[in-house]
Order: sequence, then C-alpha cells, then structure tokens
Amino acid sequence: MARQRVMVVGGGLAGLSAAMKLAELGIDVDVMSLTPVKRSHSVCAQGGINSCSDQTRQAGDSEWKHFDDTVYGGDFLQHQPPVKEMAYWAPKIINLMDRLGVTFNRTTEGFIDRRRFGGTLYKRTAFAGATTGQQLLYALDEQVRRWEVAGKVRKYEHWDFLGPVLDNHGVCRGCVGQDLVSMEIRAFPADAVLIASGGCGLLYGRSTNSVMCTGSAVSRCFQAGAKYANGEFIQVHPTAVPGADKLRLMSESARGEGGRVWVPRTPQDPRNPRDIPESERYYFLEERYPQYGNLVPRDIATREIFDICINEGLSVEKGRQCVYLDLTHIPRQELDRKLGGILEIYEKFQGVDPRVTPMKIFPAVHYSMGGLWVDYDRTADGGLRSASPTNMVTNLPGLYALGECNYQYHGANRLGANSLLSCIFDGLFAAPGLEVWLSSRATAAAEAPASLFESEVRRQQACQQELIRRPAGGENPYLLHQTLGEVMTKAATVVRRNPQLRDALREVEELAARAKRCALADTGQWTNQNLVFTRALLDMFPLAQTILRGALARDECRGAHYKPEFAMPHLTGETTAQRRAEADAWCTRFDENNRRWLKSTVAVWQPREESVQLSYEDVDTSLIPPRPRLYGLVGAALIEEVWNQRVTAQLARVP
Amino acid sequence: MERRPVAASTDCRPFLARNEFLIRRLHSLTGLIPVGAFMTVHLATNASVLDGPATFQRAVYQIHSLGRLLPVVEWAFIFLPILFHGLLGLVIIRGGMVNTGSYPLIGNIRYVLQRATGVIALVFILCHVFHMHGWFHSELWLERVVEPLGGGRFRPFSAPSTLGAAMQGGLVIPALYAVGLVACVYHLANGLWTMGITWGVWAGPQAQRRANWICGTAGVVLGILALSALYGAMTVDVPRAVEIEDALYEARVTAHKLAPNERKRADAERTGRGGSRVE
Amino acid sequence: MAENHREGEAAKTFDVRILRQAGPGQASYWERHRVSYEPDMNVISVLQKIAAHPRTADGQDVTPVAWDCNCLEEVCGSCTMVINGRVRQACSALVDRLLEQHPDEIELRPASTFPVVRDLVVDRGRLFQALKKVTAWVAVDGYYDRGEGPPQSQEEQEQLYPLSHCMSCGCCLEACPQYARVELTRGVDESPEEFVQRQAETYDRLFLGPHAISQVILFNSHPTGRHMSSLRLDALIAEGGIQLCGNAQNCVAVCPKDIPLTTSIARAGRAATVHALRKWFDV
Ligand SMILES: Cc1cc2nc3c(=O)[nH]c(=O)nc-3n(C[C@H](O)[C@H](O)[C@H](O)COP(=O)(O)OP(=O)(O)OC[C@H]3O[C@@H](n4cnc5c(N)ncnc54)[C@H](O)[C@@H]3O)c2cc1C
Ligand code: HEM
Ligand code: SF4
Ligand code: SF4
Ligand code: FES
Repeated sequence: MARQRVMVVGGGLAGLSAAMKLAELGIDVDVMSLTPVKRSHSVCAQGGINSCSDQTRQAGDSEWKHFDDTVYGGDFLQHQPPVKEMAYWAPKIINLMDRLGVTFNRTTEGFIDRRRFGGTLYKRTAFAGATTGQQLLYALDEQVRRWEVAGKVRKYEHWDFLGPVLDNHGVCRGCVGQDLVSMEIRAFPADAVLIASGGCGLLYGRSTNSVMCTGSAVSRCFQAGAKYANGEFIQVHPTAVPGADKLRLMSESARGEGGRVWVPRTPQDPRNPRDIPESERYYFLEERYPQYGNLVPRDIATREIFDICINEGLSVEKGRQCVYLDLTHIPRQELDRKLGGILEIYEKFQGVDPRVTPMKIFPAVHYSMGGLWVDYDRTADGGLRSASPTNMVTNLPGLYALGECNYQYHGANRLGANSLLSCIFDGLFAAPGLEVWLSSRATAAAEAPASLFESEVRRQQACQQELIRRPAGGENPYLLHQTLGEVMTKAATVVRRNPQLRDALREVEELAARAKRCALADTGQWTNQNLVFTRALLDMFPLAQTILRGALARDECRGAHYKPEFAMPHLTGETTAQRRAEADAWCTRFDENNRRWLKSTVAVWQPREESVQLSYEDVDTSLIPPRPRLYGLVGAALIEEVWNQRVTAQLARVP
Repeated sequence: MERRPVAASTDCRPFLARNEFLIRRLHSLTGLIPVGAFMTVHLATNASVLDGPATFQRAVYQIHSLGRLLPVVEWAFIFLPILFHGLLGLVIIRGGMVNTGSYPLIGNIRYVLQRATGVIALVFILCHVFHMHGWFHSELWLERVVEPLGGGRFRPFSAPSTLGAAMQGGLVIPALYAVGLVACVYHLANGLWTMGITWGVWAGPQAQRRANWICGTAGVVLGILALSALYGAMTVDVPRAVEIEDALYEARVTAHKLAPNERKRADAERTGRGGSRVE
Repeated sequence: MAENHREGEAAKTFDVRILRQAGPGQASYWERHRVSYEPDMNVISVLQKIAAHPRTADGQDVTPVAWDCNCLEEVCGSCTMVINGRVRQACSALVDRLLEQHPDEIELRPASTFPVVRDLVVDRGRLFQALKKVTAWVAVDGYYDRGEGPPQSQEEQEQLYPLSHCMSCGCCLEACPQYARVELTRGVDESPEEFVQRQAETYDRLFLGPHAISQVILFNSHPTGRHMSSLRLDALIAEGGIQLCGNAQNCVAVCPKDIPLTTSIARAGRAATVHALRKWFDV
C-alpha cells in the first residue's frame, strides 16, 4: 500500500496538537491553514486553561468536580463521557504543555500558579500572563516545526480548504484546497481529514474572533453532508471593548484576579468613575450571586448586564450595554504580572490606563458551543475508549472534527478556560484513534482513482469561474456581510424572541439570494482576497440559517440560549408556604422541560432546497443527572432545597 | 521566470563564509587590540609635546629604541591590523544599509556614524601615515616617491621640530587632521560600546546605558588628548625644538646610547635643521 | 483620541496613499484613496473600507488592496506594514493618532525587506526559516504523560515570558539595517520542492535576524531546552549568524511586543563567543 497521510485543516491548538501527536505516532501529516499556523486565532486566547491540581485537590477539588462544573456550566447539554475524559486528562495536558516550555506564571515556590475563572469555586486555571493561548499555540507551533524539519509534517499555509472529497461510499478520501497566493486549486488525497478550523464569529460581523473565523471550512463540510449540532448556542462574552473592526476581549481573568463589575446607582452618572463613592456603586453580580460573585458563568453575567442596562436603564452609556470593570484596587505590579497582555490592549486601543481608571466594557459575540456533530466511543465507566477511530469522527467516515469547530464539550454554555483544554485534548486524544483508522483501511487514498479527485477539483474550478465571470455592478460582498452581522447580532445573541428570529431567518434567506449576485471587484488570478472573502461569505449562510433555525425551534431557556417567553419564573409568593409551592411547581416544570428539550439539535443541509433540516438527539447524562442551574442566586435557595428533597426521595424509592 | 543568482558574493565564499564568525570577532577584537590600544598610546605620546619638545623627543627615543625590530613591530602590530580592520570594515559596510531616514533613532544614527567615521578614519590613516611616516623605510621609495609628494615629513631624531613643521604653514592640514582625529576618536569610543554588546560585556538596557557613559567619557578624554596633540604640534617653536633635539642627540651619542647617525648629520647640514631616519 | 481631532466637522475625510504592486517582479505604484472619517478607526478598518469600495480619490475603480491580518489585537503578527514611514502593526495603528502626526494623509507601504506578494502582503518565509535554523523548540521525549515539567522560579518565568512573546511579525527585521532583502524567483527548470529547498538554503546563509537570536536565548534558558544549547549556538556562529548584527538597535526600538532584543543579542554574543572558543580549544 502507498504511504498513508492525514490532512489536518487548521493550525490552531486543536490542529497542531493533532499534527504533532500524529507525527509522533509515525504518521505523515499535512497541515493546511489560511494563515501561517503561528498566527491562528488561538493566539488571541488570554485567560488560561483549566485543570484541577494538587493544590485545588486539597481544597476539595477533583477531576470529577471539574467535570461537574463543566456540565453544570453547560446546562447539561453535553454528552458526558467526552467531558469526563477531558476533565481527567486535563492535569496531564497542563503537565505536557509545561514540559513543552509554556511559560506559565509561577508561585513564589515555583509551582504553576492558578487563578479562578467563571463557573467554578476553585482556582483551577493555569495561565501565562494574559496571553495563555499565544503561549500554548507557540509551544505547539514549535513542536510542529520540529516535525516539519524531521520531514513528518508538511505545511500548506495560505491555503483555503474548499471541501472534502468523498468516495461513492461516502468515505472521506481527501480534500480540495486553494493556494491563496497563486490561486491554484488542487486535491490532497488523505486517508483521514481532520477539521480543526475553529469558530465562526464572523457570522456576526464584528465579534471577539479573528478575521479568519468565518466558519467556512465547517460550512463546506456541512454542505457536503456532515451534520452540525447545537448551532444556536452562541456565547456572548460579557466583557469586551468595541472597535470599528473588532470587539476586543477583556478576558474573564480580569475578574478572576479580583476585577469587579459595577454600574453607578444613578443612571449615566457623569462623574469620573473614580470619584463615585462605594455607596453609590451597584456591584450587581456580587449582590445577586453572593457565592460566585463576578465569576458566574458567562451566559448569566451577560444576561445580568443586559438586564441592568436595558431593563433597569443603568448603563454607563445611554442606549448601549456598558458597565464598569474595575481593577483599580489591585496593586499595579500584580496587575502587570498577571494581566499585562490585556491591559496593554485596553491601553493601546482605548488610550486609558485601566490600572488607574475602571474599564468601560460591553458584551460581544465570542464563541460557538455548537459545531460539527461528532461521535465518541463510550466505555462502561462512562469515559472514552482510547485509540478508537469512533472518537471525534463526523457522520462521514474519515472526516473528523476537533477543537472549537466540533460541538462536544461545552453544551449550552462554555466555561472560561475550558476551550483551550478541549482543543488540545481533541488533538492528543484523536491521534491514536486515527492510527487505528488508518490501519483498518485496505487501500491508501493516494491509490484511489485519480478521477475522484479530478472531478472535485473541476467542480471547484467551475464554481470559481462562475464567481469570477459574474457581471460587474452586482451586490457588494462586504456590505452584505455587514448586514448579515447586524441581522444575526440583533436576533441571535443574548435575548432571543421568536418573531425576531423569524424575521431574521427571512432576511438571511434574502441576503443569501442577493449574495448569489455578488460581483467581484477583483477577477485576477493572483492573491485574490476578494474572491476568497466572497466565497467565505457565501458559505456563511448555511451556518447562519442553522443557528437561527435551531434558536427558533428551541422554545426554552438553556445556557446561552435565552427566550424570555420561556424563562423559568422567579419565586414571588408572600409566604414561605406559597413560595415552597412555587418552587415545587418550578421543579416539576424543570423536569418536564428537560424531557422535552434536553436534546442536541442536529442539523443537516438539504442541498436541493438550500435549507436546514433539524432533528433532535438524546444526550448521555448518565453520569451526572441534570439539576437546576441557579449558581446560588439570591432568592432561589428554596428551589434548590426542594430539588434536593426530591432527589433524596427518589433515591430512597430506588431499592 | 529565470534562474537568478542569489547574492553576488556567494561564489567566492566558502572560506569567508565558513569563518564568518571568527573573522567578525577578529575584526571586533582588532578594533580594540591592537588598533584602539595603539591609537590611545599614540595620541598620548603626541600630546606629550605640550609638555615641551624634550618630553616628546624622549618619548620618541623610547619607541625607536626598538631599532631594527621597529618595522616588523610597526607592520605586525599596527599597520596590518589597521588594514585588516579597515578593509574588512569596508566589506562589512557593504553588507548593511542606511535607513536613518525612516528610523532616526539614536542607536541607528550611531550605527551609521560608526561606518562613516570608519571610512574617514581609513582615508585619514592612509594619508596620515604617508604624510608623516611614508609607510616603508626604503630610502629609494622615500626619496623618489614619498618626499616629492610631500610625505614622510617626520624624523624620529628630530621629532618635535619635524612634527611642528609638518603641521604649520596653513590651516588646511591641521583642519584635515582635526576631522580625522575626531572621527577616529568617535569610532573608537562608540566601537568600544558596541564591542561590549558584541562580546556580551554589557547586556541589559541599564548596563548598556551605564556603559554608554563610560565609553562616552573615554571618548571625551581621548578627544581632548587628540586635539591637544594637534594643538601642541601646531604651536611647536621649531628653531628652539631643533636646538633641544640636537642637544639630546649629542648627549645620547656621547653616552653611547646611540650610534652616530649619518642621516641625522647630513639632514642637519642640508636643511640647517635636524632630521634623520633611523635604519 | 477621537474627541480632540477637529470635532464637529461634517463628513470629514482623509487620504490614504498606498504603495501597490500587482505581484512579484511587477512595478510598484502609488494609489490614493479617500476615506470618510469615523471614530475609533485603525488602519485595518480603513483597509476594510477601501476593500468594500475600491475606488481611488479621483474616482477610478480599481482592484481592492490586498493585505494580511487576523487577530486585530496585535498578537498574531500578521499585519506588519510600513505606516507613515515606520514599520508597525496595522491593527494597532489608530487613525486618530496617525492623523495627529500627519494631518489628512496616511501612507501605507509593504515591508521592504521581504518580497512583495501583492500590495501590502509580503512573504515572510525567511523569518520562519530562521526559527528552524536555530532549533527553536524544546526537544521533549514525546507527548506521553511524564509528569510535571522541570520546576521554575518566578524569576526565571519572568525572564522567559517576555522572550516567548515574539509573534514573528518581522518589524525588527524591517527596521534592521543589517537585514538585507532577498527575493528569489522559481526557475523554469525548478520544481516547487526544489525551489523551497533553494530558498531555505539561501535564507540560511543570510542574517538570521534578532528575533531568532532572541529565541536562542529563550530556549537556552529553559531547563530542558538548554539541553540543545550547543546546537543553537552552532547556528549562531554559522554563516549568517549573530556576527552580522551591527548593534544599530533599531530592532528593539520597533518591536511591538517590547522584546528585549538587544539584551538577548548581547547575551547570545557572549554565549556564542564562549561556545566558539570551547569548540576550538576544548574538543
Ligand atoms: C479573544 C478570545 C479569548 C479567548 N480566551 C480563551 C481562554 O482564555 N481560555 C480558553 O479556554 N478559551 C479561550 N478562547 C477560546 C479559544 O481561544 C478558541 O476556542 C480556540 O483557540 C479555538 O482553537 P482551534 O484550534 O479550534 O481553532 P483556531 O485557533 O481558531 O484555528 C483555526 C485554524 O483553522 C484554519 N482555518 C479556518 N478556516 C480554514 C479554511 N477554510 N481553510 C484552511 N484553514 C482554515 C485557520 O487558519 C486556523 O489555523 C478565547 C477566544 C477568543 C476569541
Ligand atoms: C583608528 C582606528 C580604528 C579603531 C581604533 C577602530 C576601532 C573599532 C572598534 C573598537 C570597533 C568595535 C567593534 C565591535 O563593535 O565589535 C570597530 C568597529 C568597526 N570598525 Fe573600526 N576602528 C578603526 C578603524 C576603522 C577603519 C579604518 C574602518 C574602515 C573603514 C573601520 C570600520 C569599522 C566598522 C565597519 C566597524 C563595525 C563592525 C561591526 O559592527 O561589526 N574601523 N572599530
Ligand atoms: S541591533 Fe543588530 S539586529 Fe538589531 S537592528 Fe541593529 S543590527 Fe539589526
Ligand atoms: S522580535 Fe518583536 S519585532 Fe521581531 S518578530 Fe518578534 S515580535 Fe516582531
Ligand atoms: S492583525 Fe494580528 S497583529 Fe495585527
């Protein structure tokens, strides 16, 4: 048999960890990326990466608790075995990254320092200043360069993945890519293709994501028949800074290091925030969630900010959702050591020193919990079978999805500092399974009939020709993208309402139709960014539709998906007895809702109708049963009490 | 698309290329030892003329006590190292570029000045050695070539007077000397500082700043020394200097510290002043 | 900031002069675009506006300008270009500040030490090749679990962390007077692989640049990375090595990540000399 090769699409943390592990296993790897891999979006990650550690263990933490926090944070929407496996791998991953030279911050004695992140009570997050993603990515980039020198890895940087090549059994035998410099389109026979192409923030126009996060690679797989799950779960980060081109994140680590969120009690108080006395500040997160304080999960923090700004009118700037994020009480030296990276960003782009003046921050679209649907191989004790080719494979055999672009770990809401973990875990864990997959193949993709690849290349060339030949004066792709962003941001972010979603769907369909008439301003065959962007734009519509359809169909509130119409009530009764009755009804409704909605949304693209078909799939919650997700909200203690009584009673009934 | 040769100099490279590091370190080293060290001593010796012709003449006798070895020493420890450093310097200059237009940063300006002063120094030193010394001790060369061209003006046994004579009679020569000297001094002082980085003596920004003061001070001191020497040479009272030289000469001959020297006497007779070259 | 830039004028515009080039080997030319002012703009958002409406100031329709960017927050190193004569990241070049320095006009050029691919896009392959040359990685045994990494003091971490920030943007190389431009073209009789090989060999003979020297210090200071010190120092004293630095210190002045490059250069210079002496006299 000819030598087998694996194609990794994407050189972020997920792609690179897979590439290096595959190379270690002796497998030849190609890595394709839009940017030089060292410039992948993972560099932007700031705050850190989670694992329990010897120190948190002594405070009562464990891998199980990390697992529990993750599924609780995700509102139980994730299949639990992969999450469990990831949590148990986490300490090993930190150790490995440490050995690879990641410059994690250290304690005085020389241990890896940890900080607290949202949705947990433990200081679990390892960090390298406020540029953790950059440091992790560089360590992996270095290892992959090492394998490149050793001849095991070939890089195709500045290449655009145009789609998988499937044989007539539906097995993925490679992919087609385009050189973004010479615009050459060619096929890459591969015995497995790993999609590790990250998120799709650009669907929302401006977000905290990098400009390459168009979701194009994922969409092309989706349009080729891969399933897409939980699309409607889009994380809006509570703390970012708006700019003309991007919403720049101010990491959760700012709050992890003691940053406090507040608004003046007087609406739009014109005073300098430094001059507003303590008594006139409303630390609303701390007051509403005394236990978690500023570190409630992101969906909750964002909704509270929405509530404070829109419903209570306390926004710092009128008509926007702006609150203060205050670090000024923390010693300057400590800030520089632990948060230097983000403070510099704020200073550079806002021209204000956040060590002296509280930052003005706004919510921003940040992360897609949804992604390509992938499978896993469950062991009896609820973990993942290692070296199983079933892990992380999409519904198309030979096509795998890793990192942010799959849907596996974060359910309805991702906890901060869990994504870097899931990306690296995916890469490391998938590789041995791929080795098994390769050895199970009878023939190498390189031996597959050339016509298989040629016809796909010709199809892509024809698509491109069609784009280039369009008459001038058509729609402007950049303006369409802007409109798409506005539509998506209005309808499918923090608060969602069915009429708005319906309107948005219609608008997106219209935009998709208009996009078919896009004209290129550049019809050349050399570094044609206009063409590449337009093609990515065209591929945004199927994902946008998936998000909107999923959101429209899901009539409940779960994690980042919030519809006021279906929100669970607060307890309003006068007497304890009344409130207890309400709590009881609450719990019953909660149970019923879970029976109906604790399901993954699975979307399939209908190429002929150019529309999305949804179905629902049960979630494996066999390890940790779902429970109300209240994070100690003031006034909701009774619900938890009632719930716990019910659980105890239920357990008593089981012999 | 055609096959284009890479860098013009690749072909003749192997030896230079293989030893690029060694050669560059030698270049750096020769800048200080022996060239910089010699220059410092040389300037100090010459500045001694301020103390009177006798002091200077004695200092010159000191140097010339090497006798027959002197040419060997001159070439091995002074001329060849300077030529090595200087010519290699020209090669190095070709490998860099000037971008102070875009980056008018102090370090960058100094980088350019280091190169400019190097070139000035090279021209100056070539001329200066010709003007005073004549490069080779061969009689024929000196009489037929050097002296007719106005070079070889210095006579070790009549040091102050010949030096003075060479520097007097017009401001052009002293002005050129001033430029050359300042260039050399800047080049040495700044070179000392960059050398400290090249060899890793001062690494951090603070250390480099401190070193900057030290090198700067050394430069100012050297500069004062150099200009004093020039001033001293320009203000030598030549006739008086001749008397003193002659007296010193006679005293040395009488004390058998010096063999009577034909040229010295002949020169004295011919010109009515002192002046002779040692063999 | 936005407030003090001639507030109140309606529909303000400013000009952007861009040095364009259709491809390698083609002539470059200046093109002027007029952009309407908005608050909080940076050079990337200006280029985005131009891409959306590729029309010159005198009303001619042109192809959109090509440029590189990704993170838009100065961590990925993509968007290096020469803005108003000085190399920097376009994403952090705020229009308000630029107009304060040069009212009404912003000038954009591609980095000049790298071959132009198109317009503002340059090929920085040489910069990455240098990382290969200096073995810029920690050669761990493998990616299996082997427990924690070597212990490190807070002080050590604080030494290494700044060095590991290098985002390979190439600003230092653009400003370095010792880093001369080379542009190779593929020969007609040359396969892409051969060309890549020849490129790598050529780059290896030329100055590797301050960023790579600094990486040597980073990895030679790491408790495990240090095991390969002599390999890295070999690279530093090979052709194109540290000896080519002329101490102009432009690199450190323009590095957007404030990497202490000249400190690294001095330390590397010392280590390289000791290494060379040891090689000659010890083995
Ligand atoms: C500002 C910010 C801060 C964050 N901070 C944290 C944090 O502190 N902790 C945490 O855990 N998570 C954090 N996250 C989330 C986390 O950074 C990302 O989820 C994660 O880095 C994604 O990595 P990835 O490997 O999946 O993909 P990416 O790093 O996004 O890489 C995608 C790769 O795919 C390539 N690619 C994409 N499309 C194509 C195509 N069509 N053809 C070829 N190649 C393609 C790209 O070139 C790139 O190499 C943060 C995210 C943001 C936006
Ligand atoms: C008066 C005699 C000279 C003295 C005392 C002298 C001294 C020095 C010193 C100490 C250095 C620093 C070396 C380093 O940075 O590593 C230096 C560098 C240099 N010198 Fe000279 N030099 C002299 C003449 C010349 C001449 C004649 C030239 C050639 C034109 C020249 C060209 C250079 C150059 C180009 C450098 C920089 C080398 C580098 O950056 O690597 N120098 N010199
Ligand atoms: S110090 Fe060296 S590397 Fe830095 S700019 Fe100057 S010559 Fe270049
Ligand atoms: S050292 Fe600084 S300027 Fe040079 S490539 Fe790295 S980050 Fe850019
Ligand atoms: S776009 Fe990443 S550095 Fe500017």
